[in-house]
Amino acid sequence: MDNLVTANIRQRPIRSVVSIAGVALGVALVMVFTGLARGMSNDLQRRSSNVRAEILFTRPGSADNLTSSTANLSTKYVEELQKIEGVESAIPVIRYIYQGGRGFGFEQVEGVDWAPFASMNQMRMTEGRPPEAMDEVIIDETKAQNGSLKVGSILSIFGGKQYRVTGIYAPESGARVKMSLAAMQYALEAPGKCTWILIKCKDGADQVAVAKHINETLPGNKIQFTRDVFTSIEKQIPFLGLFLRVLVGLAAVVSALVIMLAMYTTITERTREIGILKAMGASRAYIIGVIEKEAIVISVLGLVVGFTVALVGGALIHRIYGLMFEYGWGWAIAAAAIGLFGGVLGALYPAIRAANLDAVSALSYE
Amino acid sequence: MRTILKAENLEKVYRVGRVDVPALRGVSLDVQEGEFLAIMGPSGCGKSTMLHLLGGLLTPTTGRIMIDGEDLTAATDARRTDIRRRKIGFVFQRFNLFPTLTAEGNLRLAERIHGGNGADDPERRREVLRLLRLEDKMHHKPLELSGGEQQRVALARAVVTRPALILADEPTGNLDSENSAIVLNMFQELNLRFNQTVIMITHNPEAAAMCRRIIQMRDGQIVQPLGNVQM
Repeated sequence: MDNLVTANIRQRPIRSVVSIAGVALGVALVMVFTGLARGMSNDLQRRSSNVRAEILFTRPGSADNLTSSTANLSTKYVEELQKIEGVESAIPVIRYIYQGGRGFGFEQVEGVDWAPFASMNQMRMTEGRPPEAMDEVIIDETKAQNGSLKVGSILSIFGGKQYRVTGIYAPESGARVKMSLAAMQYALEAPGKCTWILIKCKDGADQVAVAKHINETLPGNKIQFTRDVFTSIEKQIPFLGLFLRVLVGLAAVVSALVIMLAMYTTITERTREIGILKAMGASRAYIIGVIEKEAIVISVLGLVVGFTVALVGGALIHRIYGLMFEYGWGWAIAAAAIGLFGGVLGALYPAIRAANLDAVSALSYE
Repeated sequence: MRTILKAENLEKVYRVGRVDVPALRGVSLDVQEGEFLAIMGPSGCGKSTMLHLLGGLLTPTTGRIMIDGEDLTAATDARRTDIRRRKIGFVFQRFNLFPTLTAEGNLRLAERIHGGNGADDPERRREVLRLLRLEDKMHHKPLELSGGEQQRVALARAVVTRPALILADEPTGNLDSENSAIVLNMFQELNLRFNQTVIMITHNPEAAAMCRRIIQMRDGQIVQPLGNVQM
Protein backbone atom coordinates (compact mmCIF):
# COMPACT_ATOMS: atom_id res chain seq x y z
CA MET A 1 0.00 0.00 0.00
CA ASP A 2 1.29 3.41 -0.95
CA ASN A 3 2.13 5.12 2.33
CA LEU A 4 0.90 8.44 0.94
CA VAL A 5 -2.58 6.90 0.85
CA THR A 6 -2.63 5.65 4.44
CA ALA A 7 -0.84 8.79 5.67
CA ASN A 8 -3.52 10.98 4.08
CA ILE A 9 -6.29 8.94 5.64
CA ARG A 10 -4.67 9.16 9.07
CA GLN A 11 -3.81 12.83 8.67
CA ARG A 12 -7.42 13.93 8.12
CA PRO A 13 -9.33 11.76 10.58
CA ILE A 14 -12.62 13.69 10.56
CA ARG A 15 -12.87 13.69 6.78
CA SER A 16 -11.93 10.01 6.73
CA VAL A 17 -14.49 9.13 9.41
CA VAL A 18 -17.24 11.06 7.59
CA SER A 19 -16.38 9.32 4.33
CA ILE A 20 -16.29 5.90 5.99
CA ALA A 21 -19.62 6.68 7.69
CA GLY A 22 -21.12 7.65 4.33
CA VAL A 23 -20.18 4.34 2.76
CA ALA A 24 -21.19 2.46 5.92
CA LEU A 25 -24.58 4.17 5.90
CA GLY A 26 -25.32 2.96 2.38
CA VAL A 27 -24.18 -0.57 3.15
CA ALA A 28 -26.03 -0.72 6.47
CA LEU A 29 -29.22 0.62 4.86
CA VAL A 30 -29.16 -2.08 2.22
CA MET A 31 -28.35 -4.84 4.69
CA VAL A 32 -30.85 -3.81 7.39
CA PHE A 33 -33.79 -3.20 5.06
CA THR A 34 -33.24 -6.26 2.90
CA GLY A 35 -32.44 -8.36 5.99
CA LEU A 36 -35.63 -7.17 7.66
CA ALA A 37 -37.78 -7.69 4.56
CA ARG A 38 -36.29 -11.13 4.00
CA GLY A 39 -36.44 -12.07 7.67
CA MET A 40 -40.05 -11.02 8.12
CA SER A 41 -41.07 -12.55 4.82
CA ASN A 42 -39.34 -15.85 5.46
CA ASP A 43 -40.64 -15.95 9.01
CA LEU A 44 -44.21 -15.46 7.79
CA GLN A 45 -43.70 -17.96 5.01
CA ARG A 46 -42.17 -20.54 7.33
CA ARG A 47 -45.06 -20.27 9.72
CA SER A 48 -47.61 -20.29 6.93
CA SER A 49 -46.04 -23.32 5.30
CA ASN A 50 -46.73 -25.37 8.43
CA VAL A 51 -50.42 -25.04 7.74
CA ARG A 52 -51.40 -28.43 6.31
CA ALA A 53 -54.76 -27.39 4.87
CA GLU A 54 -54.85 -27.16 1.10
CA ILE A 55 -57.68 -24.65 0.65
CA LEU A 56 -58.44 -21.28 2.22
CA PHE A 57 -62.10 -20.25 2.22
CA THR A 58 -62.94 -16.57 2.82
CA ARG A 59 -65.34 -13.81 1.95
CA PRO A 60 -64.40 -11.78 -1.13
CA GLY A 61 -62.09 -8.86 -0.40
CA SER A 62 -60.55 -10.35 2.71
CA ALA A 63 -57.74 -12.72 3.58
CA ASP A 64 -54.79 -11.34 1.80
CA ASN A 65 -52.51 -13.47 3.86
CA LEU A 66 -50.61 -10.65 5.51
CA THR A 67 -53.17 -7.96 5.95
CA SER A 68 -56.49 -9.55 6.71
CA SER A 69 -57.74 -8.77 10.17
CA THR A 70 -61.48 -8.88 9.78
CA ALA A 71 -63.88 -11.42 11.16
CA ASN A 72 -66.56 -11.22 8.50
CA LEU A 73 -67.08 -14.87 7.61
CA SER A 74 -69.85 -16.87 9.27
CA THR A 75 -68.72 -20.07 10.99
CA LYS A 76 -71.93 -21.65 9.66
CA TYR A 77 -70.04 -22.33 6.46
CA VAL A 78 -67.99 -24.94 8.34
CA GLU A 79 -70.86 -27.43 8.47
CA GLU A 80 -71.68 -26.94 4.82
CA LEU A 81 -68.07 -27.27 3.76
CA GLN A 82 -67.65 -30.52 5.65
CA LYS A 83 -70.50 -32.00 3.62
CA ILE A 84 -68.77 -31.36 0.31
CA GLU A 85 -67.20 -34.37 -1.40
CA GLY A 86 -63.45 -34.61 -0.89
CA VAL A 87 -63.34 -32.36 2.21
CA GLU A 88 -61.85 -34.09 5.24
CA SER A 89 -62.10 -31.23 7.70
CA ALA A 90 -62.85 -27.51 7.85
CA ILE A 91 -61.48 -25.38 10.68
CA PRO A 92 -62.53 -21.77 11.32
CA VAL A 93 -59.81 -19.29 12.26
CA ILE A 94 -60.01 -15.66 13.42
CA ARG A 95 -56.91 -13.61 12.96
CA TYR A 96 -56.33 -10.21 14.48
CA ILE A 97 -53.34 -8.00 13.78
CA TYR A 98 -52.25 -5.43 16.33
CA GLN A 99 -49.38 -3.10 16.97
CA GLY A 100 -46.40 -4.79 18.60
CA GLY A 101 -46.15 -4.56 22.35
CA ARG A 102 -42.94 -2.53 22.06
CA GLY A 103 -44.51 0.01 19.74
CA PHE A 104 -42.73 -1.15 16.59
CA GLY A 105 -43.94 -3.57 13.93
CA PHE A 106 -47.04 -5.69 14.29
CA GLU A 107 -48.08 -8.94 15.84
CA GLN A 108 -50.83 -11.43 15.16
CA VAL A 109 -53.12 -13.42 17.37
CA GLU A 110 -55.38 -16.24 16.18
CA GLY A 111 -58.50 -17.75 17.62
CA VAL A 112 -58.85 -21.49 16.95
CA ASP A 113 -60.38 -24.55 18.47
CA TRP A 114 -57.11 -26.13 19.44
CA ALA A 115 -57.85 -29.86 19.20
CA PRO A 116 -59.06 -30.00 15.57
CA PHE A 117 -56.62 -27.25 14.51
CA ALA A 118 -53.66 -29.11 16.04
CA SER A 119 -54.82 -32.37 14.55
CA MET A 120 -55.11 -30.86 11.05
CA ASN A 121 -51.70 -29.17 11.21
CA GLN A 122 -49.84 -31.85 13.15
CA MET A 123 -49.10 -29.59 16.09
CA ARG A 124 -48.62 -30.47 19.73
CA MET A 125 -48.26 -28.88 23.12
CA THR A 126 -44.68 -29.05 24.32
CA GLU A 127 -45.53 -27.55 27.69
CA GLY A 128 -48.71 -26.77 29.63
CA ARG A 129 -52.18 -27.18 28.18
CA PRO A 130 -54.40 -25.65 25.46
CA PRO A 131 -56.38 -22.46 26.24
CA GLU A 132 -59.82 -22.96 27.73
CA ALA A 133 -60.96 -19.87 29.60
CA MET A 134 -61.63 -16.53 27.92
CA ASP A 135 -58.42 -15.03 29.29
CA GLU A 136 -56.02 -17.81 28.31
CA VAL A 137 -53.58 -18.06 25.42
CA ILE A 138 -50.88 -20.37 24.17
CA ILE A 139 -47.68 -19.29 22.42
CA ASP A 140 -45.09 -20.93 20.18
CA GLU A 141 -41.53 -21.65 21.22
CA THR A 142 -40.05 -18.66 19.37
CA LYS A 143 -42.43 -16.25 21.10
CA ALA A 144 -41.59 -17.85 24.43
CA GLN A 145 -37.88 -17.53 23.78
CA ASN A 146 -37.89 -13.97 22.35
CA GLY A 147 -40.28 -12.64 24.97
CA SER A 148 -38.80 -14.62 27.87
CA LEU A 149 -42.29 -16.00 28.44
CA LYS A 150 -43.29 -19.23 30.13
CA VAL A 151 -46.43 -20.97 31.31
CA GLY A 152 -48.13 -18.65 33.76
CA SER A 153 -46.75 -15.45 32.20
CA ILE A 154 -49.15 -12.60 31.43
CA LEU A 155 -49.58 -11.12 27.91
CA SER A 156 -51.37 -7.87 27.11
CA ILE A 157 -53.52 -7.99 23.96
CA PHE A 158 -56.44 -5.93 22.65
CA GLY A 159 -55.48 -2.65 24.24
CA GLY A 160 -54.11 -3.86 27.53
CA LYS A 161 -56.40 -6.74 28.28
CA GLN A 162 -54.39 -9.36 30.15
CA TYR A 163 -54.15 -13.00 29.12
CA ARG A 164 -52.39 -15.80 30.94
CA VAL A 165 -50.12 -18.18 29.02
CA THR A 166 -51.30 -21.73 29.65
CA GLY A 167 -49.03 -23.59 27.26
CA ILE A 168 -46.34 -23.60 24.60
CA TYR A 169 -46.82 -25.36 21.28
CA ALA A 170 -44.76 -26.54 18.31
CA PRO A 171 -44.12 -26.31 15.45
CA GLU A 172 -44.70 -22.62 14.74
CA SER A 173 -47.70 -22.10 12.49
CA GLY A 174 -49.59 -18.92 11.68
CA ALA A 175 -49.81 -16.44 14.54
CA ARG A 176 -47.44 -16.98 17.45
CA VAL A 177 -50.22 -16.35 19.96
CA LYS A 178 -53.41 -18.37 19.89
CA MET A 179 -56.52 -18.41 22.01
CA SER A 180 -59.78 -20.29 21.72
CA LEU A 181 -62.13 -19.32 18.90
CA ALA A 182 -64.80 -18.41 21.45
CA ALA A 183 -62.43 -16.17 23.41
CA MET A 184 -61.42 -14.36 20.25
CA GLN A 185 -65.03 -13.93 19.09
CA TYR A 186 -65.86 -12.56 22.51
CA ALA A 187 -62.90 -10.16 22.51
CA LEU A 188 -63.74 -8.83 19.03
CA GLU A 189 -67.48 -8.88 19.69
CA ALA A 190 -67.90 -11.09 16.64
CA PRO A 191 -69.93 -14.07 17.77
CA GLY A 192 -70.35 -16.76 15.11
CA LYS A 193 -67.71 -15.17 12.88
CA CYS A 194 -64.23 -16.02 11.69
CA THR A 195 -61.64 -14.63 9.28
CA TRP A 196 -61.19 -17.71 7.15
CA ILE A 197 -61.83 -21.42 7.13
CA LEU A 198 -58.99 -23.85 6.52
CA ILE A 199 -60.02 -26.87 4.45
CA LYS A 200 -58.11 -30.14 4.45
CA CYS A 201 -58.85 -32.45 1.55
CA LYS A 202 -59.18 -36.19 1.92
CA ASP A 203 -56.17 -38.28 0.93
CA GLY A 204 -56.11 -38.76 -2.83
CA ALA A 205 -58.74 -36.09 -3.47
CA ASP A 206 -58.15 -33.76 -6.38
CA GLN A 207 -57.73 -30.31 -4.77
CA VAL A 208 -58.83 -28.49 -7.92
CA ALA A 209 -61.97 -30.58 -8.16
CA VAL A 210 -62.71 -30.03 -4.47
CA ALA A 211 -62.25 -26.28 -4.90
CA LYS A 212 -64.57 -26.38 -7.88
CA HIS A 213 -67.20 -28.25 -5.85
CA ILE A 214 -66.92 -25.70 -3.07
CA ASN A 215 -67.34 -22.85 -5.50
CA GLU A 216 -70.38 -24.50 -7.04
CA THR A 217 -71.91 -25.28 -3.69
CA LEU A 218 -71.13 -21.95 -1.98
CA PRO A 219 -70.83 -19.42 -4.79
CA GLY A 220 -69.74 -15.84 -4.23
CA ASN A 221 -66.93 -16.63 -1.80
CA LYS A 222 -63.18 -16.55 -2.26
CA ILE A 223 -61.41 -19.87 -2.62
CA GLN A 224 -57.60 -19.96 -2.69
CA PHE A 225 -55.05 -22.73 -2.59
CA THR A 226 -52.72 -22.36 0.36
CA ARG A 227 -49.80 -23.35 -1.89
CA ASP A 228 -50.43 -20.15 -3.89
CA VAL A 229 -51.04 -17.92 -0.90
CA PHE A 230 -48.08 -19.09 1.14
CA THR A 231 -45.50 -19.78 -1.56
CA SER A 232 -44.10 -16.29 -1.65
CA ILE A 233 -45.21 -13.86 0.97
CA GLU A 234 -42.64 -11.43 -0.42
CA LYS A 235 -44.50 -11.33 -3.73
CA GLN A 236 -47.74 -10.50 -1.98
CA ILE A 237 -46.44 -7.31 -0.40
CA PRO A 238 -47.11 -4.67 -3.04
CA PHE A 239 -43.94 -3.18 -4.56
CA LEU A 240 -41.63 -4.69 -1.93
CA GLY A 241 -39.14 -5.76 -4.61
CA LEU A 242 -39.28 -2.33 -6.22
CA PHE A 243 -38.86 -0.68 -2.83
CA LEU A 244 -35.76 -2.76 -2.12
CA ARG A 245 -34.26 -2.00 -5.53
CA VAL A 246 -34.91 1.74 -5.09
CA LEU A 247 -33.32 1.50 -1.65
CA VAL A 248 -30.24 -0.19 -3.08
CA GLY A 249 -30.01 2.49 -5.78
CA LEU A 250 -30.28 5.25 -3.19
CA ALA A 251 -27.60 3.60 -1.09
CA ALA A 252 -25.30 3.50 -4.11
CA VAL A 253 -25.95 7.17 -4.83
CA VAL A 254 -25.36 8.13 -1.17
CA SER A 255 -22.06 6.21 -1.07
CA ALA A 256 -20.85 7.65 -4.36
CA LEU A 257 -21.84 11.21 -3.44
CA VAL A 258 -20.22 11.10 -0.02
CA ILE A 259 -16.97 9.75 -1.47
CA MET A 260 -17.10 12.23 -4.33
CA LEU A 261 -17.61 15.20 -2.01
CA ALA A 262 -14.92 13.99 0.38
CA MET A 263 -12.44 13.42 -2.44
CA TYR A 264 -13.36 16.66 -4.15
CA THR A 265 -12.69 18.50 -0.90
CA THR A 266 -9.44 16.69 -0.39
CA ILE A 267 -8.28 17.48 -3.92
CA THR A 268 -8.88 21.17 -3.23
CA GLU A 269 -7.03 20.87 0.07
CA ARG A 270 -4.16 19.06 -1.57
CA THR A 271 -3.87 21.05 -4.78
CA ARG A 272 -0.33 22.08 -3.88
CA GLU A 273 0.63 18.47 -3.08
CA ILE A 274 -0.68 17.38 -6.45
CA GLY A 275 1.50 20.07 -8.00
CA ILE A 276 4.48 18.63 -6.14
CA LEU A 277 3.66 15.14 -7.37
CA LYS A 278 3.54 16.46 -10.92
CA ALA A 279 6.86 18.26 -10.46
CA MET A 280 8.32 14.98 -9.21
CA GLY A 281 7.26 13.32 -12.44
CA ALA A 282 4.13 11.52 -11.26
CA SER A 283 2.03 10.52 -14.25
CA ARG A 284 -1.71 11.14 -14.55
CA ALA A 285 -2.30 7.44 -13.92
CA TYR A 286 -0.18 7.59 -10.76
CA ILE A 287 -2.15 10.56 -9.39
CA ILE A 288 -5.49 8.96 -10.24
CA GLY A 289 -4.19 5.75 -8.66
CA VAL A 290 -3.27 7.46 -5.39
CA ILE A 291 -6.72 9.06 -5.08
CA GLU A 292 -8.54 5.89 -6.12
CA LYS A 293 -6.53 3.82 -3.66
CA GLU A 294 -7.54 6.22 -0.92
CA ALA A 295 -11.19 5.87 -1.98
CA ILE A 296 -10.87 2.07 -2.02
CA VAL A 297 -9.34 1.98 1.47
CA ILE A 298 -12.13 4.26 2.74
CA SER A 299 -14.76 2.14 0.98
CA VAL A 300 -13.41 -1.11 2.40
CA LEU A 301 -13.38 0.39 5.91
CA GLY A 302 -16.93 1.65 5.21
CA LEU A 303 -17.96 -1.88 4.20
CA VAL A 304 -16.56 -3.34 7.41
CA VAL A 305 -18.30 -0.69 9.53
CA GLY A 306 -21.52 -0.98 7.50
CA PHE A 307 -21.73 -4.77 7.82
CA THR A 308 -20.90 -4.56 11.52
CA VAL A 309 -23.59 -1.91 12.11
CA ALA A 310 -26.11 -3.99 10.14
CA LEU A 311 -25.34 -7.18 12.06
CA VAL A 312 -25.24 -5.53 15.49
CA GLY A 313 -28.23 -3.30 14.69
CA GLY A 314 -30.25 -6.25 13.40
CA ALA A 315 -29.45 -8.27 16.51
CA LEU A 316 -30.43 -5.35 18.77
CA ILE A 317 -33.69 -4.69 16.89
CA HIS A 318 -34.51 -8.40 17.03
CA ARG A 319 -33.78 -8.47 20.73
CA ILE A 320 -35.74 -5.33 21.56
CA TYR A 321 -38.62 -5.53 19.08
CA GLY A 322 -38.65 -9.19 18.13
CA LEU A 323 -38.42 -8.41 14.40
CA MET A 324 -36.77 -11.12 12.33
CA PHE A 325 -33.62 -10.49 10.27
CA GLU A 326 -32.17 -12.80 7.66
CA TYR A 327 -29.15 -11.66 5.69
CA GLY A 328 -28.61 -13.21 2.29
CA TRP A 329 -25.29 -13.53 0.46
CA GLY A 330 -26.85 -12.00 -2.65
CA TRP A 331 -27.76 -8.74 -0.94
CA ALA A 332 -24.49 -8.76 1.01
CA ILE A 333 -22.55 -8.98 -2.26
CA ALA A 334 -24.77 -6.26 -3.74
CA ALA A 335 -24.14 -4.02 -0.70
CA ALA A 336 -20.38 -4.65 -0.92
CA ALA A 337 -20.38 -3.87 -4.63
CA ILE A 338 -22.38 -0.69 -4.00
CA GLY A 339 -19.99 0.49 -1.29
CA LEU A 340 -16.89 -0.34 -3.29
CA PHE A 341 -17.95 0.77 -6.76
CA GLY A 342 -19.78 3.78 -5.32
CA GLY A 343 -16.52 4.84 -3.70
CA VAL A 344 -14.40 4.14 -6.77
CA LEU A 345 -16.80 5.92 -9.13
CA GLY A 346 -17.32 8.80 -6.71
CA ALA A 347 -13.56 9.37 -6.51
CA LEU A 348 -13.04 9.11 -10.25
CA TYR A 349 -14.10 12.65 -11.17
CA PRO A 350 -12.01 14.35 -8.45
CA ALA A 351 -9.10 12.06 -9.37
CA ILE A 352 -9.28 12.96 -13.06
CA ARG A 353 -9.61 16.62 -12.13
CA ALA A 354 -6.51 16.35 -9.96
CA ALA A 355 -4.57 14.60 -12.70
CA ASN A 356 -5.49 17.40 -15.11
CA LEU A 357 -4.41 20.22 -12.80
CA ASP A 358 -1.81 22.56 -14.21
CA ALA A 359 1.40 21.84 -12.32
CA VAL A 360 2.62 25.43 -12.07
CA SER A 361 -0.77 26.75 -10.90
CA ALA A 362 -1.04 23.89 -8.41
CA LEU A 363 2.42 24.62 -7.02
CA SER A 364 1.53 28.26 -6.42
CA TYR A 365 -1.85 27.36 -4.84
CA GLU A 366 -2.22 28.87 -1.35
CA MET B 1 32.24 17.58 -21.14
CA ARG B 2 28.73 16.59 -22.16
CA THR B 3 25.95 19.10 -22.72
CA ILE B 4 23.20 18.13 -20.29
CA LEU B 5 20.80 20.92 -21.21
CA LYS B 6 20.46 22.97 -24.37
CA ALA B 7 17.83 25.69 -24.70
CA GLU B 8 17.49 27.46 -28.04
CA ASN B 9 15.71 30.75 -28.59
CA LEU B 10 13.05 30.17 -25.92
CA GLU B 11 10.05 32.43 -25.95
CA LYS B 12 7.10 32.27 -23.63
CA VAL B 13 4.04 34.48 -23.96
CA TYR B 14 1.23 34.38 -21.37
CA ARG B 15 -2.25 35.36 -22.41
CA VAL B 16 -3.78 37.53 -19.67
CA GLY B 17 -7.33 38.37 -20.66
CA ARG B 18 -6.94 39.77 -24.16
CA VAL B 19 -3.39 40.88 -23.64
CA ASP B 20 -0.26 38.91 -24.57
CA VAL B 21 2.39 39.24 -21.91
CA PRO B 22 5.87 38.10 -22.99
CA ALA B 23 7.79 36.44 -20.16
CA LEU B 24 10.79 35.14 -22.12
CA ARG B 25 12.11 36.76 -25.26
CA GLY B 26 14.51 34.48 -27.08
CA VAL B 27 16.63 32.88 -24.37
CA SER B 28 19.36 30.43 -25.35
CA LEU B 29 21.43 28.51 -22.87
CA ASP B 30 23.84 25.57 -22.77
CA VAL B 31 24.57 23.79 -19.51
CA GLN B 32 27.35 21.23 -19.27
CA GLU B 33 27.26 18.13 -17.10
CA GLY B 34 28.51 18.96 -13.60
CA GLU B 35 27.87 22.70 -13.84
CA PHE B 36 26.52 24.66 -10.88
CA LEU B 37 24.72 27.57 -12.50
CA ALA B 38 22.93 30.51 -10.90
CA ILE B 39 20.24 32.51 -12.65
CA MET B 40 19.79 35.95 -11.10
CA GLY B 41 17.58 38.88 -11.87
CA PRO B 42 14.84 41.08 -10.46
CA SER B 43 11.31 39.86 -9.78
CA GLY B 44 9.30 39.41 -12.96
CA CYS B 45 12.33 39.06 -15.21
CA GLY B 46 11.31 35.53 -16.27
CA LYS B 47 13.56 33.42 -14.01
CA SER B 48 10.79 31.16 -12.69
CA THR B 49 9.21 30.83 -16.13
CA MET B 50 12.64 29.80 -17.41
CA LEU B 51 12.98 27.17 -14.66
CA HIS B 52 9.49 25.82 -15.26
CA LEU B 53 10.22 25.55 -19.00
CA LEU B 54 13.51 23.76 -18.37
CA GLY B 55 11.70 21.36 -16.03
CA GLY B 56 8.92 20.63 -18.50
CA LEU B 57 6.24 22.09 -16.24
CA LEU B 58 5.47 24.66 -18.96
CA THR B 59 5.83 24.53 -22.71
CA PRO B 60 7.54 27.38 -24.57
CA THR B 61 5.64 29.43 -27.13
CA THR B 62 8.61 28.95 -29.47
CA GLY B 63 12.06 27.46 -29.09
CA ARG B 64 13.55 24.08 -28.22
CA ILE B 65 14.83 22.42 -25.05
CA MET B 66 17.01 19.30 -25.05
CA ILE B 67 17.59 17.54 -21.74
CA ASP B 68 20.27 14.87 -21.71
CA GLY B 69 19.65 14.20 -25.40
CA GLU B 70 15.83 14.18 -25.25
CA ASP B 71 13.73 16.88 -26.86
CA LEU B 72 11.41 18.23 -24.19
CA THR B 73 9.54 20.61 -26.46
CA ALA B 74 8.57 18.01 -29.05
CA ALA B 75 7.29 15.63 -26.40
CA THR B 76 3.67 15.04 -25.45
CA ASP B 77 2.52 15.94 -21.96
CA ALA B 78 2.90 12.32 -20.83
CA ARG B 79 6.36 12.10 -22.37
CA ARG B 80 7.43 15.36 -20.71
CA THR B 81 6.25 13.96 -17.38
CA ASP B 82 8.30 10.84 -18.06
CA ILE B 83 11.43 12.88 -18.88
CA ARG B 84 10.92 14.94 -15.73
CA ARG B 85 10.53 11.76 -13.69
CA ARG B 86 13.75 10.24 -15.04
CA LYS B 87 16.01 13.26 -15.49
CA ILE B 88 15.01 16.16 -13.25
CA GLY B 89 14.85 16.88 -9.55
CA PHE B 90 13.12 19.99 -8.22
CA VAL B 91 13.93 21.97 -5.08
CA PHE B 92 11.50 24.77 -4.20
CA GLN B 93 11.70 27.87 -2.06
CA ARG B 94 8.83 26.62 0.11
CA PHE B 95 10.34 23.12 0.50
CA ASN B 96 7.12 21.47 -0.73
CA LEU B 97 7.49 18.33 1.32
CA PHE B 98 4.52 16.09 1.95
CA PRO B 99 3.50 17.00 5.51
CA THR B 100 1.89 13.61 6.13
CA LEU B 101 5.08 11.68 5.39
CA THR B 102 8.32 11.43 7.34
CA ALA B 103 11.61 12.58 5.84
CA GLU B 104 12.29 9.02 4.74
CA GLY B 105 8.70 8.68 3.48
CA ASN B 106 9.18 11.70 1.24
CA LEU B 107 12.29 10.07 -0.21
CA ARG B 108 10.53 6.73 -0.62
CA LEU B 109 7.70 8.45 -2.48
CA ALA B 110 10.23 9.95 -4.91
CA GLU B 111 11.71 6.48 -5.42
CA ARG B 112 8.29 5.01 -6.14
CA ILE B 113 7.37 7.70 -8.61
CA HIS B 114 10.75 7.24 -10.25
CA GLY B 115 10.92 3.46 -10.30
CA GLY B 116 7.42 2.13 -9.68
CA ASN B 117 5.88 0.66 -6.54
CA GLY B 118 8.58 -1.99 -6.30
CA ALA B 119 11.36 0.61 -6.14
CA ASP B 120 12.83 0.58 -2.68
CA ASP B 121 16.48 1.31 -1.95
CA PRO B 122 16.86 1.92 1.78
CA GLU B 123 20.65 1.95 1.48
CA ARG B 124 20.52 4.78 -1.06
CA ARG B 125 18.08 6.72 1.14
CA ARG B 126 20.34 6.33 4.16
CA GLU B 127 23.37 7.36 2.07
CA VAL B 128 21.66 10.54 0.88
CA LEU B 129 20.28 11.39 4.31
CA ARG B 130 23.76 10.77 5.82
CA LEU B 131 25.33 13.02 3.20
CA LEU B 132 22.88 15.77 4.10
CA ARG B 133 23.38 15.08 7.81
CA LEU B 134 19.80 14.03 8.37
CA GLU B 135 20.22 10.41 9.54
CA ASP B 136 18.73 11.19 12.94
CA LYS B 137 15.78 13.00 11.36
CA MET B 138 14.63 10.35 8.92
CA HIS B 139 11.56 9.42 10.96
CA HIS B 140 10.54 13.03 11.59
CA LYS B 141 7.69 14.70 9.72
CA PRO B 142 8.34 18.09 8.08
CA LEU B 143 6.61 20.07 10.82
CA GLU B 144 9.00 18.53 13.33
CA LEU B 145 12.01 19.87 11.40
CA SER B 146 13.57 23.33 11.16
CA GLY B 147 13.40 25.25 7.87
CA GLY B 148 16.98 24.34 7.04
CA GLU B 149 16.35 20.68 7.78
CA GLN B 150 13.21 20.70 5.67
CA GLN B 151 15.10 22.17 2.74
CA ARG B 152 17.82 19.54 3.16
CA VAL B 153 15.13 16.83 3.07
CA ALA B 154 13.75 18.46 -0.08
CA LEU B 155 17.25 18.37 -1.56
CA ALA B 156 17.65 14.74 -0.50
CA ARG B 157 14.33 13.92 -2.18
CA ALA B 158 15.50 15.61 -5.37
CA VAL B 159 18.81 13.70 -5.55
CA VAL B 160 17.76 10.29 -4.24
CA THR B 161 16.72 9.17 -7.73
CA ARG B 162 20.05 10.33 -9.29
CA PRO B 163 18.58 12.91 -11.71
CA ALA B 164 20.70 14.34 -14.51
CA LEU B 165 19.70 17.85 -13.50
CA ILE B 166 18.54 19.59 -10.33
CA LEU B 167 16.43 22.72 -10.74
CA ALA B 168 16.31 24.83 -7.59
CA ASP B 169 13.90 27.75 -7.32
CA GLU B 170 15.14 30.18 -4.63
CA PRO B 171 16.16 27.31 -2.32
CA THR B 172 17.39 29.68 0.39
CA GLY B 173 14.58 32.22 0.01
CA ASN B 174 12.79 31.06 3.17
CA LEU B 175 15.89 30.40 5.28
CA ASP B 176 17.94 32.48 7.68
CA SER B 177 21.58 33.13 6.82
CA GLU B 178 22.91 30.22 8.88
CA ASN B 179 20.58 27.66 7.32
CA SER B 180 21.10 29.24 3.90
CA ALA B 181 24.83 28.64 4.22
CA ILE B 182 24.27 25.02 5.27
CA VAL B 183 21.93 24.34 2.34
CA LEU B 184 24.21 26.05 -0.18
CA ASN B 185 27.15 24.06 1.13
CA MET B 186 25.12 20.92 0.55
CA PHE B 187 24.41 21.94 -3.04
CA GLN B 188 28.09 22.64 -3.53
CA GLU B 189 29.12 19.34 -1.98
CA LEU B 190 26.73 17.42 -4.22
CA ASN B 191 28.08 19.29 -7.20
CA LEU B 192 31.73 18.78 -6.35
CA ARG B 193 31.62 15.24 -4.99
CA PHE B 194 29.09 13.71 -7.35
CA ASN B 195 29.37 16.01 -10.35
CA GLN B 196 25.67 16.80 -9.93
CA THR B 197 24.42 19.41 -12.41
CA VAL B 198 22.46 22.17 -10.65
CA ILE B 199 20.63 25.22 -11.99
CA MET B 200 19.62 27.56 -9.18
CA ILE B 201 17.46 30.67 -9.28
CA THR B 202 18.40 33.14 -6.59
CA HIS B 203 18.13 36.77 -5.57
CA ASN B 204 20.98 36.33 -3.17
CA PRO B 205 24.39 37.39 -4.52
CA GLU B 206 26.15 35.38 -1.79
CA ALA B 207 24.31 32.28 -2.91
CA ALA B 208 25.09 32.99 -6.53
CA ALA B 209 28.73 33.48 -5.64
CA MET B 210 28.94 29.80 -4.68
CA CYS B 211 28.06 28.80 -8.24
CA ARG B 212 30.56 28.22 -11.05
CA ARG B 213 28.56 30.33 -13.50
CA ILE B 214 26.05 33.13 -13.06
CA ILE B 215 23.48 34.30 -15.60
CA GLN B 216 21.76 37.65 -15.20
CA MET B 217 18.26 38.06 -16.60
CA ARG B 218 16.18 41.15 -17.23
CA ASP B 219 12.87 41.60 -19.07
CA GLY B 220 12.79 38.03 -20.27
CA GLN B 221 16.30 38.00 -21.70
CA ILE B 222 19.76 36.98 -20.61
CA VAL B 223 21.57 40.28 -20.30
CA GLN B 224 24.80 39.38 -18.62
CA PRO B 225 26.32 35.93 -18.95
CA LEU B 226 29.05 36.33 -16.38
CA GLY B 227 30.99 33.29 -17.53
CA ASN B 228 32.72 30.84 -15.26
CA VAL B 229 33.47 31.83 -11.73
CA GLN B 230 36.79 30.65 -10.40
CA MET B 231 36.17 28.33 -7.49
